[in-house]
Order: sequence, then C-alpha cells, then structure tokens
Amino acid sequence: MTDPLALEPVLTPRDHADSGARPWNEDLSHDERFTLFEAHVRASGKIEPNDWMPDEYRTAVLRFVEMHANSELMGVLPEREWIMRAPTLKRKLALTAKVQDEVGHAQLLYRVAEDLGKPREAMFDDLLAGRTKFHNVFHYPTRTWADIGIIAWLVDAAAIVAQQALRDSSYGPYARTMQKICWEESVHIMHGRDVVVTLMTGSDTQRAMVQEALDRWWGPLMQMHGPRSDRTKDRDLHWRIKAKTSEELRQEFLTIYVPRILELGLVIPDRELAFDDATGEWRYTDPDWTELRTVVTNHGPMSEERLEFRRMNRAATAWVRTAILAEPRAVA
Amino acid sequence: MTATRISPETATALAAFLLSMADDEFVIGFSDSEWTGIAPILEEDVAMSSIAQDELGHARALYELLAALLDDGRDADALAYDREPEAYRHAGLLDHPRGDWAMTMARRFLYDTADDARLASVGEVWPPLAELIAKVRREERYHLMHVLAWADRLARAGGESRARFVAALEMLAPDASTVLTIPEGEAALLDAGIITRPMSAAAAAWRAEVAAILGPLGITLTLEPAADAVAARTGHGDAFRWLWGEFTSVRRSEPGATW
Repeated sequence: MTDPLALEPVLTPRDHADSGARPWNEDLSHDERFTLFEAHVRASGKIEPNDWMPDEYRTAVLRFVEMHANSELMGVLPEREWIMRAPTLKRKLALTAKVQDEVGHAQLLYRVAEDLGKPREAMFDDLLAGRTKFHNVFHYPTRTWADIGIIAWLVDAAAIVAQQALRDSSYGPYARTMQKICWEESVHIMHGRDVVVTLMTGSDTQRAMVQEALDRWWGPLMQMHGPRSDRTKDRDLHWRIKAKTSEELRQEFLTIYVPRILELGLVIPDRELAFDDATGEWRYTDPDWTELRTVVTNHGPMSEERLEFRRMNRAATAWVRTAILAEPRAVA
Repeated sequence: MTATRISPETATALAAFLLSMADDEFVIGFSDSEWTGIAPILEEDVAMSSIAQDELGHARALYELLAALLDDGRDADALAYDREPEAYRHAGLLDHPRGDWAMTMARRFLYDTADDARLASVGEVWPPLAELIAKVRREERYHLMHVLAWADRLARAGGESRARFVAALEMLAPDASTVLTIPEGEAALLDAGIITRPMSAAAAAWRAEVAAILGPLGITLTLEPAADAVAARTGHGDAFRWLWGEFTSVRRSEPGATW
C-alpha cells in the first residue's frame, strides 16, 4: 500500500512574492508599518527577505528556522552511524542518499536563516554551546538496523506532517524551501517503510527487532510535536510562521499512521490509544512532557555525546575552512 | 564478443580484473561515505556523499557484471559482502584509514588519476564492460574536477593546509601504483583485446599526468611501480579489517536473511 502523503504532489507552483503593493515598506511611522505588515500576513500574504519586518517577526522566524536547521544537522548523526553497516548495496546507497538529503536540508535552512541576519558560524557556535535547540528525537541512540527503518518511516512521517503545513508559512523563502524538503522527505518515508516491511516479512528475529525499535521510539514520537497549546497565545501561529497547533499535527500523524503500523502486525505500546468517535479525535496516554523538557535542554541520552562529536569534528576540520578562505599563494 | 564466447582462460582473467575494479570502487566508496554528515563544510558534505554514491554505484554495476560472468548463484550483494577479508582484491592504496581531509583528498587524487589511466586502457571488444566503462568515465570526470580543485586549493593555501596535503601525498605515494595492477592474467586480457595496453604502460602515462598536475604546485612525488601485482591487492591490514567488521555486522547478525 502506498502512502498517500508520500505521493501527494508537493511541487505545487512556486509561491512567488505577491506582486501587489507592499505599503509597509514605504516611509511611514513604525506603528503604521506594523499595522499594514500584520494585515498582510494575517491575510495570507508572503514576506520576502528585503521587506521591512517588525523585529518580533524577524526574531520569531529566525528562531523557528534555526531550530529546524539545527535539527536537520543533528538528525544526521543517529542515521549516519549505520551508513557503514547497511547490509546491502541498495540499502547503503539509499541511506547515504537519505542522510545527504538531511545535510542538504540543513544547508538550505541555514541559508534562509542567514538571510535574516545571523551568520552560519554564529548558529553553529550557539548550537554547539547548547544555547539553541534541536528536536527531541535526535537526542536518542540508534541501537539496531530496525531503528533505521523506524526513523525514516515514522520520525520522518511525523516531521513531514509538520513540514507540509509549513509550505504555507508567511515567510516566503521558508515556504519555498519546505516544498523541496517535503518532496525529499516523502522519498525517505518510502525508503523507511521498505526497510520495515522487509524486516517484518523476514525472520522472527527481524520482526522482533522492529517491534523493539517501535517500543523505544513511540514515546519520543508522541512527544515530538510538543504539548497542547493555546492557539490564541501562539505567536508563531499569529504571524502564520506555522499553520497548525501541536495537537492538530499529532492527531493528523495518528490518523494516517496508526492504521499503517497496525497493518504490518506491529503493536503500538499504548493501551489507551483509540479513536474517539464522539470527539473525532485520538485518545492516548499523555506523553511524558518531563522527558521532552529534559531531552530538548540537552539532557537526553545522547545529547552531550552528539554535541561533543560535532564539536570534535568542527575543530578537526577548522584548518580546511581556513584554507578555503585563504588568499591563494604563489607556488613552485 | 559476448561473455559466452570468451575462452575459459580469458574469463578467469576478466573475473579477476572485474573483481579488483569493483572492490576498489566499493572500498573507496565506503571511505568517502564516512564523511557524510561531518565534512568540513555543508556544501562539501553534499558533494562527498554524491561521490560516495557514484563509487558504490560503479561497484554495484561491476559486481553485477562479475555475477553474470561467474554465474555461480551469487548476486552483487553476495559478491560485495559475503567474503572473508582476505578475499577482497582492492588496491593497497585504499587500505589506509580515512584520516583527515588532506588524507582523503590525497587518496582521491592518487586514486582518481590512476583509475582514469586504468579505465582509458579498457578496449571495446567486450561490450558489457566497454559500455559500463563509458558511463563510469562520464561520472569520474566530475570526481577528477572536484579533486583537482581541492588539490590546487590545499596546495596554494600554504601553511598547515599545504603541509598536511603534501605529507598525506608522500605517505600514500608508495602504495599509489597498486591501483594499476591486475592480480592475474594480464597477458590473456591483452591478447583478447579486453585491455589495450599493459598496466605498466598505463602506469607510465599516469605518472606523467601526476607530475604535470603537481609540478605547477611545486610538489614532486616519487611513484615507484608496484613490485608485485598479487601483493598489491592482498594482505589487507587492520584498517580494512575494521571496515569489513562494520559493513558486514548487520548482515552477519542473521545469515541468509533478506534485508
């Protein structure tokens, strides 16, 4: 069965900047500009890098995109460890390509963030010093080959539910970048599902490996979109930087993926999980929000190790970046 | 000439040649993919992953060709993964650990230039190989452009960069000629026209090419011919044993399983 999300055409016509008037760029008082800017954003207009924008908006977009970029960059590490161990040529090629995509996404997103005024090196400094964050799911270890399937299938699926909504972001460069990213992520989901299906149709040991991986990843998956929040108080929703609440995203993920997980004969480790016809929503055991807070503040099982690995590699390759920037000298 | 009309003696030599080329691409593809996610800059990370995928793709195509030639029930994956470390026939140049970026670029420089001389020695008489090599060379052209840009940059940056790059070249130089060796049956391949010049001639052309590139950068490298064509591709050391342990670990955990 093919995943409809995976096949949904994400390459819709490019969202070009509105060609209409952009009156907030005119020589007006701050309050007048602010009012015009806000009206434009609230009416689903797009903002481009050269537009005037309130500091609150710039800071909020930067924070959001930077965290996303950090997550792509740190998200490389759990899967990277298994590139060397991929058990066939096809899996090795697919996993290398998948991790390469994540690095490419980090590059694209850091460039979007750079346009907002923060240099890439400063973003790396902040990430490695623990001053900025990355998504909870990348703070956990990858223990078996089945983790590679579960991450590419379900972690990327949970991510794509959020990312598809971000194609409507009010910040034009981010919305356009998300179109490319979503398309690539949909390929990752197919790769992940193929790894999982192959294991589930294999030996008892292989099936047990997938179930064990799902048991470990379910908690972080349910925490991934964050706690329920008040729509009216969410600044990122107000500015239309993002379009959906945490709970809307989690519900969407469950609606699409619970049947898919069950059809493979896997057991979801939550006895409370059920669709409630009365409310039209999924009921589930409340995720461990303490764990989420602990993990995203870099106290997760692999937080420090992964950050240290990045610090070490950044230091070991510093001379290369110096060489790239150096003025070529005469030789011979 | 098709695979079925090759003499048994030529087939044996051809199998050895295909295996050596496939193992070379397989092993360098692994070394390159070790940089995925941790290369010096994001742009280079993406480039290096593409190169790794190209090399592994070439390895897969060569193993498939070999599988068809051998016709012993083993597929490309079985040929690539299910051998003991001693049975791999990659060049000694590729037996060094990944090392730093200078080592990686020095290895790529020596390998890509030597591989180019080897690929230029393959004749047209066996279409399956000739067609594959034509495709491979279209991609390798870009790998050469990539590594030549890096060689130029690392050498001309001076200071630590140049020192590291020159030291890596000098360390790898004694093993560099191993790429241009065929473990057995070179004469049979020449007779059949599968290769059009002996590897010694390819090596001479390669040494001239390397000198022409490094000379303007003020680097002189001594590249002795490989003493023994068999020793050049056997006796792999600890670096390869580690790599082998890694890439076979999942597969060995459940022998015979489908992955």
